[in-house]
Amino acid sequence: MELQKFTYDNKITRDFAVATMVWGVIGMLVGLLVALQIFIPEMNFSLEYTTFGRTRPVHTNAVIFAFVGNAIFTAVYYSMPRLLKTNMYSKLLGKIHFWGWQLIIIAGAITLLAGYTSGKEYAELEWPIDVAITIIWVIFGINMFGTIIQRRVSHIYVAIWFYIATWVTVAVLHVVNSIEIPYSLLKSYPVYAGIQDALVQWWYGHNAVAFFLTTPFLGLMYYFVPKAANRPVYSYKLSIVHFWSLIFIYIWAGPHHLLYSSLPDWLQALGTTFSIMLIAPSWGGMMNGLLTLRGAWDKVRRDPVLKMFVVGITAYGMATFEGPMLSLKTVNAISHFTDWTVGHVHIGALGWNGMLTFGMLYWLIPRLYNTKLYSTKLANVHFWISTLAIIFYAVPLYIGGITQALMWKEFTPEGFLAYPNFLETVTQLIPMYAIRAFGGGMYVLGMLLLIFNVVKTAKQGQLVKEEEVEAPALQTQSVGKKSTESWHSFLERKPIRFLVFSTIAILIGGMFEIIPTYLINSNVPIISSVKPYTPLELQGRDIYVREGCYNCHSQMIRPFRSETERYGEYSKAGEFIYDHPFQFGSKRTGPDLAREGVKTGRIYKPNAWHYNHFIDPQKMNEESIMPKYPWLAEKDINLKSTAPKIRAMKKLGVPYPDNYEHQANDDLLKQAEEIAQNLREAGIETESTKEIIALIAYMQRLGTDIMKPQEEPETEEE
Amino acid sequence: MSTIDDKKQDQANSQHEYDDFTNEKLLAGHEFDGIRELDNQLPPWLKYLFYGSIIFAASYLTLVFVFEDENIIQAKEYQNEMAAFIEDEEAAEEDETAAPVIRTQEEIMASGQATFSKICSVCHGKFGEGLVGPNFTDEYWIHGGSRDNMHEVITTGVIEKGMISYKNILTENQIQDVITYIQSLQGTNPPNQKAPEGEKYVPESEEETAS
Repeated sequence: MELQKFTYDNKITRDFAVATMVWGVIGMLVGLLVALQIFIPEMNFSLEYTTFGRTRPVHTNAVIFAFVGNAIFTAVYYSMPRLLKTNMYSKLLGKIHFWGWQLIIIAGAITLLAGYTSGKEYAELEWPIDVAITIIWVIFGINMFGTIIQRRVSHIYVAIWFYIATWVTVAVLHVVNSIEIPYSLLKSYPVYAGIQDALVQWWYGHNAVAFFLTTPFLGLMYYFVPKAANRPVYSYKLSIVHFWSLIFIYIWAGPHHLLYSSLPDWLQALGTTFSIMLIAPSWGGMMNGLLTLRGAWDKVRRDPVLKMFVVGITAYGMATFEGPMLSLKTVNAISHFTDWTVGHVHIGALGWNGMLTFGMLYWLIPRLYNTKLYSTKLANVHFWISTLAIIFYAVPLYIGGITQALMWKEFTPEGFLAYPNFLETVTQLIPMYAIRAFGGGMYVLGMLLLIFNVVKTAKQGQLVKEEEVEAPALQTQSVGKKSTESWHSFLERKPIRFLVFSTIAILIGGMFEIIPTYLINSNVPIISSVKPYTPLELQGRDIYVREGCYNCHSQMIRPFRSETERYGEYSKAGEFIYDHPFQFGSKRTGPDLAREGVKTGRIYKPNAWHYNHFIDPQKMNEESIMPKYPWLAEKDINLKSTAPKIRAMKKLGVPYPDNYEHQANDDLLKQAEEIAQNLREAGIETESTKEIIALIAYMQRLGTDIMKPQEEPETEEE
Repeated sequence: MSTIDDKKQDQANSQHEYDDFTNEKLLAGHEFDGIRELDNQLPPWLKYLFYGSIIFAASYLTLVFVFEDENIIQAKEYQNEMAAFIEDEEAAEEDETAAPVIRTQEEIMASGQATFSKICSVCHGKFGEGLVGPNFTDEYWIHGGSRDNMHEVITTGVIEKGMISYKNILTENQIQDVITYIQSLQGTNPPNQKAPEGEKYVPESEEETAS
């Protein structure tokens, strides 16, 4: 058989590996900063750009899309040509993919710090960047399928099944969740509102975990674990069963992020049940990874690469058991809105994604540079530091999360809340936050050891830019299914058909959940007294989104006595129909704000309190961990944006009167002057055009609509 | 190399290869960049775990969609929780025969101070010096300085000024204690005092000994 000569491009793999490490350090350092800011509010250094509400999205986006993203591409660009015995389809597309992705990351970091955010978790980037991500993702797809089509191997290996599912699902999730109407060069409103926005967002958010943090890493595992251990994969049959069940079931589980919210019960039930059904498919991946190591356990003792893989895969198994448990309503009633969730995701992030990436890099870099690892000892040290770091990180958050939830729910024998002041439940957690930051710091230290080791390794070797190889050409195959081959084996040599079937598998769940939520009215019962925001409140709401208040404050009162006692009537779906985007939040570092404006409510505060509190929360309560926002009292409301905002909202179906955009600023100024006047009466001199006035107007509107009599003209008070 | 064509596969099928370590059968023709795959079945326990979870899911969904179970449908769950609480409260009211507990002045002050620093200090300052709310350390009172006046303000609130009602947040004992504590603040002269507001209040002698 004639052998064909071709080359593997190692340079692009090396570039993605370098980007993985650079963004890894940056993303983790921002994570450390955020971990300190949460209990030392001064850590924003009095800059608006570095307040927690803006740095936390930078951390999450950097570690997910920059660190893990580049790790995925490293694995794909290294393993795919080798598994398919061909070069990557196009070097140029590879370069565009590489630089395009890095530019997206830089643009993302800058815009997030500058306050341009869509206000949807893990999808914060604004519309121009969303467009760029789509283009680069398509380029990646062309390069990937181009490579698959020109392969010299008849069947595609399980790692590539996972890459295919990853590509198509991320594309679908990103596009559907990012449909938005721009009202300026950098800002937009999502087309969905309220619980519909929440459903789409968490369908996206949950499956970003599934198809960005999980499936590509399973592909990575299926290549690098058997390679590093030099052992056969435990079970091909298990690969088939867990691949299809995983991608089909995962997509349904999104609503478990909205348990006990005003999402309809049927959706919550689907979220719970499909999460439980995910345990076995997830563990299928874990078992296939761990059992592949049979016969290599003596090697695991010595080799830091395999050690990291073992901890990573075990962390995956733990996180994929914990996740379904957190999806049970009884557990979720305690865990949700607390640090428990943060601990849970970091088992996955630091354990599964981090450790697998580290293992891959320690294995890969010496091969790219045709040398040995500079120091195996140092890699072992890194292994132990990271493993301990995960424990120091997660355990305090589990303790803190459960402690806080129990404090929220505790009643005195007389039937009053035992801790009526929310802050009491926060100050309890400070020591836990300090230990967590220590754990995070250790993890960053480990990352620095990795970089040192890699740089030294690269220096002692020479990059093999092009690896020359040869393989026989692929012989023509029979078009139809042969009688001797199984149905799945047939599918493995028909990659486009494979893509189509994967697409069908991942579309069913989403369609089943999202379409009825739009078409069936009973899912969002109408509350006639719920009206659109006034122009001033809308401006205030956009400031709320810009500052990332949702990172610490929820707007979703769950139907528990402990919550209705603390905050007021529980939240109803019909209250959020004009909320583009929804701002339910997922974590209560501060109290819920859904009924902040209700005058007869439990948490009502006068305008003057809000004013003083925004400028200096520690003045109102010295133990508060909220950062100061003095610039809100200095910056003017952007009046020019009012008309385009109202126009965009009208396009989205928000019922403002005809031509209201021309009158909006008059109404805005009138309402602002009333608030400023009220503040003056309380002894606070301020101009009515400042941003703080708009934010106060929004605070005082929150949750008030359903308290008004139904179908009566709305009269806005001060 | 790793390509599969019919002949090769047939050939491989007839002479199975086995993994040296486990003696398990290797799948013929499955070799990708040197990675082989074993022809093992799924671990049985994993299979049964999967079936079990599907049975759980089916039963759970039946409970929700068919029986609308009151432990899962959250509006019903909430109604039940509130009903149970109201029942408890009524039961508690019936056997309210316990003798009044006698407490020392220190205990009363400690309880008052605890409530004050938890709740009142947010608006009235850590030392009662006044912040958004008025100063408690001077002799001037907007709504009157007697215990009854204070009780009225705490239980009904002054909503237009941002003072909410604490009737359902604090017990009667806690309210009495915090009033005692607030009265004790007069004349403590802390720093950063808010300017006096309202009328000067001169206590009548009997007021001082109330409750």
